[in-house]
Amino acid sequence: MSINKVQFLFNDKVFKLDNPDPNQTLLNFIRTKLKKTGTKEGCAEGGCGACTVVVGELDKDKILYKSINSCITFVPFLHGKQLLVVENLKNNDGSHHPVQEAMVKFHGSQCGFCTPGFVMSLFSMYKNHKTYSSDIIKDTISGNLCRCTGYRPIIDAAKSLNKIKNYDKFTKNKIKTINILKKINSKNLYIFNNNKKYFSPSTIIELKKIIKKNPNSQLLNGGTDLSLVVTKERKDINTIINLKDINELDFIKTNKNYIEVGSTTSLIKFENFILKYYPDFNSILKRYGSVQVRNVGSIGGNIATASPIGDTLPILLSLNAEIIIQNKNKKINIPIKKFFTGYRKTKLKKGEFIYSIKIPIYKKNILKAYKISKRFDDDISSICGSFNLEIINKKIKKIMIAYGGMAEIPKRAINCEKMLNNKALTLVNFENATKYIEKDFKPIDDMRATKDYRIEVAKNLLLKCFLEIKSNKLIRIN
Amino acid sequence: MSKEDYINNIIPHDSAFKHVDGSAEYTDDIIESDQTLFGAIGWSKKSHAIIKKIDLKNVRSSDGVISVLTHLDIPGRNDVGPVFDGDPIFAKKKVEFYGQPLFAVVATSTELARKAVLKARIEYKELKPIITIQDSLKKKKLHFKIRKIKKGNPSKKISKSKNHLKGNFTTGSQEHFYLEGQTAFAIPKEDNNLLVYSSTQHPSEAQQLIAKMLNQKSNSITVLVRRIGGGFGGKETNFMTAAICSLLAFKTKKPVKLRLDRDDDIILTGKRHEFYSEYEVGFDNQGLINGLKLKLASNCGMSPDLSYAINERALLHIDNAYHLSDIEIENHLCKTNISTSTAFRGFGGNQGMMSIENIIDNISRYLNKDPSEIRKLNFYKNNTKNITHYGMKIEDNVIDDIFEKLIKSSNYKKRYAEIKKFNKQNKFKKKGIAITPIKFGISFTTLHLNQAGALVHIYTDGSIYLNHGGIEMGQGTHTKIAQLVSHSLGLPFGKVKISSTNTSKVPNTSASAASSTTDLNGAAALNAVSKIKKNLEIFIKKKYRIFYNKEPIYKDEQIIFGNRNFNFFKIIKEAYLNRVSLSSTGFYKTPKIKFDKEKFLGRPFLYFCYGASVSEVTIDTLTGENTVDRVDILHDAGKPINPALEIGQIEGGFVQGQGWLTIEELKWKSNGQITTFSPSTYKIPAVSDMPRKFNVEIYKDGINKEKVVNKAKTTGEPPLMLAMSVFYAIKDAIASVDNYRKIPILDAPATPEKILMSIKNLSKKQKIYKN
Repeated sequence: MSINKVQFLFNDKVFKLDNPDPNQTLLNFIRTKLKKTGTKEGCAEGGCGACTVVVGELDKDKILYKSINSCITFVPFLHGKQLLVVENLKNNDGSHHPVQEAMVKFHGSQCGFCTPGFVMSLFSMYKNHKTYSSDIIKDTISGNLCRCTGYRPIIDAAKSLNKIKNYDKFTKNKIKTINILKKINSKNLYIFNNNKKYFSPSTIIELKKIIKKNPNSQLLNGGTDLSLVVTKERKDINTIINLKDINELDFIKTNKNYIEVGSTTSLIKFENFILKYYPDFNSILKRYGSVQVRNVGSIGGNIATASPIGDTLPILLSLNAEIIIQNKNKKINIPIKKFFTGYRKTKLKKGEFIYSIKIPIYKKNILKAYKISKRFDDDISSICGSFNLEIINKKIKKIMIAYGGMAEIPKRAINCEKMLNNKALTLVNFENATKYIEKDFKPIDDMRATKDYRIEVAKNLLLKCFLEIKSNKLIRIN
Repeated sequence: MSKEDYINNIIPHDSAFKHVDGSAEYTDDIIESDQTLFGAIGWSKKSHAIIKKIDLKNVRSSDGVISVLTHLDIPGRNDVGPVFDGDPIFAKKKVEFYGQPLFAVVATSTELARKAVLKARIEYKELKPIITIQDSLKKKKLHFKIRKIKKGNPSKKISKSKNHLKGNFTTGSQEHFYLEGQTAFAIPKEDNNLLVYSSTQHPSEAQQLIAKMLNQKSNSITVLVRRIGGGFGGKETNFMTAAICSLLAFKTKKPVKLRLDRDDDIILTGKRHEFYSEYEVGFDNQGLINGLKLKLASNCGMSPDLSYAINERALLHIDNAYHLSDIEIENHLCKTNISTSTAFRGFGGNQGMMSIENIIDNISRYLNKDPSEIRKLNFYKNNTKNITHYGMKIEDNVIDDIFEKLIKSSNYKKRYAEIKKFNKQNKFKKKGIAITPIKFGISFTTLHLNQAGALVHIYTDGSIYLNHGGIEMGQGTHTKIAQLVSHSLGLPFGKVKISSTNTSKVPNTSASAASSTTDLNGAAALNAVSKIKKNLEIFIKKKYRIFYNKEPIYKDEQIIFGNRNFNFFKIIKEAYLNRVSLSSTGFYKTPKIKFDKEKFLGRPFLYFCYGASVSEVTIDTLTGENTVDRVDILHDAGKPINPALEIGQIEGGFVQGQGWLTIEELKWKSNGQITTFSPSTYKIPAVSDMPRKFNVEIYKDGINKEKVVNKAKTTGEPPLMLAMSVFYAIKDAIASVDNYRKIPILDAPATPEKILMSIKNLSKKQKIYKN
């Protein structure tokens, strides 16, 4: 059974879109079809948050309110969900939502153009959390740019929500909403719009069939990168296969030796899970991008795009993770260090997709990871370094070092590693190892950093790693 | 208004509820009719080239395209340069920057128009581009002849000084990154008239330039602006969007919307001027500056635009708060092949101020003294040393008091000592602290721009409609002017409505710029109100036979003549029935100002704004990463009309300045192609960049000595310069790496990379100034 209508809940009504254009962005749809112009376009690449909307998603007997960038989301994403835009927050009697009231009370808007995005981000925070610490507030709005206020009044507005009762019209209507969402949540959305096709299968078996019939299709696994083909390059993506509805790909399993993460697992889900195993992995993931991006971006998507500056990749490399690829017939395991073959190129062949990632659990190892960028929030790394050390009796039994931003692919520092394996944990040894950075990497100058800086910092991160281990303290300013 | 009767009323921005519920309308939000078409601009992919051939065949045949226009379709002036020519709407034979418009497309949707644009085939003959200030100086490519300013005999003073320093210093460019990109919506009306909604800070200029482009009179064009989503100077000129949109509407006879997407907006429009300075300074052992020679060069981009005025403001602010008795400046306005540099909050003043602060900072490090002491030593004084290098006597100086109060309230001295101790104990984390002053002159330096108009109507139900020439761009000018007007009439705030700025209501307005919007337009509005009040008073006195010589008081909806009270609303109805005019225009021109540009002499400013800030930072000496740990600000806002809005300007301006001096870095390839044109590559401050402790105070003793509405002082641009202390705190932290023995070399913006490289340079062979 399949359906070719995108069904979603908006304004207490179920909307059904018959075979809509699967390349139309949600932002464009909201502004031109729903005629709700409160949601703004600031950048069309998920980098400013002005277009933030919230989607209500069924999670068993709960509704999760996820903030997303509507400018890099395609319309079929709405299927089975509740769409909330800034105009929806007001109460029927014309009074404003507590989040809106707080923003006014604390003078959180000046020119007002970014404000709807902030309101929606804060609204999702208000719905998903019970209390709002400084860390939660900053994380919530780290993907919303404001050029007028300097953020202080917005933070104060968010903090003030701690003092009011967490109850709004959405809480009141919860049961009704859940019942509607259950009804419209039918699986296997297939769209045919002129020459454009969109498939959202719900099982791997179904997915394989569709891939076979549509060998030139593009897999969508979050789409925070893929959508830029439409919004920036202004090209069409004719056939899209969305993986996000396949429950079999959204999982995190563990046993004694490893963690296995399904390909479509969202970055935000993964970051919460990984905290107790590798705290540094968690802190890098928190800076991977905004909440809006981490809500939809997936671990499999980040690996498959193979960007030299993808923030999970150096860490996965240093952890010697394995990529499990599913092809027509079977699953193949490839160590991640062999997965990347060139600039944004991987071993994935046509018709294959990433099933999962297996991350070894090193109980005795130390993992250190650092992301260096111009801006702390929501920036792309100039350099990302990750160091995984097994230390026995003050001796490095084995070290795995990987960097992002240093080559056309994220890469292990093989020569540095050689210099340190089976050596004593001393400053001299680390200083010696830094000399091999230039042998391992020939970075380039670009708008983010010069090659000199990249090399210098790559060396210094190795030293920082040593200094932190030696002193058993974090030497970090953030 | 009686002497002590100042407004000091915290109320939210008058659009605050509309901002938060999405009902505040911006140009792109105006619901268009079914007939509306959508535009896109095709632009040059070379920074300096002769156009050999423009082939638009495939553009014309692209889906949904209705029309494609080039320079051949412009009936009038093919230029949107506001003061000087040089900004062609569409290039004719030659392109002078990467991003220069060549043609425009109008189609049935924005997406189709943008797709069509990509199908153009342009052949170029490339010429060698000039991108940097250094290149331009070498090749002597300047927009104007070198401007030289001299006061006293600096050469002699320098040679006689005990100490000398020479050096150079650069402050970087900055992209405005207003959240709302350039947008226009043009609707054709009868008689070839156009109604143009434009996201501009300067509707009158847009009106005039569109009229000239179409070879029509100004009265055929009406420009309307309800609000803009940030401007910061980026919408003061940059008229190409409004002009091209109008041309498309004029040619197709259909309503046309044109919105630049973010990439195009950054690539096509101008940015802040990068400034490069070379200095030679002589000073005594205490750090008092005796003489200063400066070469000040700025990257003006491909056209003059406002560069002359911007450089002039830099020259006028080279003193910041310091008395410079003997000074000589040479100003070079470099012509390069990048988009034309333009107005940006501070308008050159900030670049001038950074130059002198760098010199003062270096003097302090050379003499191994606390920079706050050297700053104080060189301050203008109240009775002596109070004439600027352009001959203006400073009569409102409060910098000493602000500085002293801030040093105390921020605990500067104690923290200064503690930081030195911290730095001795930490190798990989270093702290720095700095206090910097600001003095910023208020008025347009071009005399005729210092005028404003307003139009006030009182309807028979007593509600008030007010128009003025100012643009609401987030600063709250409509809110503050409505506060002024309602206060003047003794009415509650909600009775006064201010809506779109409209060239058909108030003509010949100046840009909302130079921090002067509320000063000028507020005074014009009050002038209009006073005329209506006069009408009412004559009417009341005559009708009710009142003999009362003093001004009546307007309070609590009453008009009070001594012991006789009249209800405002009743009187308005009566006045109407008695045929009294309840509408008036108002006008204001700034008094006292006069400046001779040739002699560089006179009083260009009505008054000065003062303030100071202390910043404390931590840097990571292994990576150059940094945090702004604490900022204390004391800022003079005179008697503020609405302190909440002023605090908003101070904090927001500070963080914007912090971005300019730290993380915001624009880059161009050597072929002139900009590589930082979206939020993924150009980083404005985000929430974590905000100072971790942020103590902002308005100077309680502040008062404007001049006749300015409410005796307030503007907070538009000045707070941006408060962020200078962040830069010098970073420099202080860097200096600590080498135990303060050398003067770090650091240009702005102080990105993590620049910081790390500056630390690295400390270990290189370099003159050690101290033992």
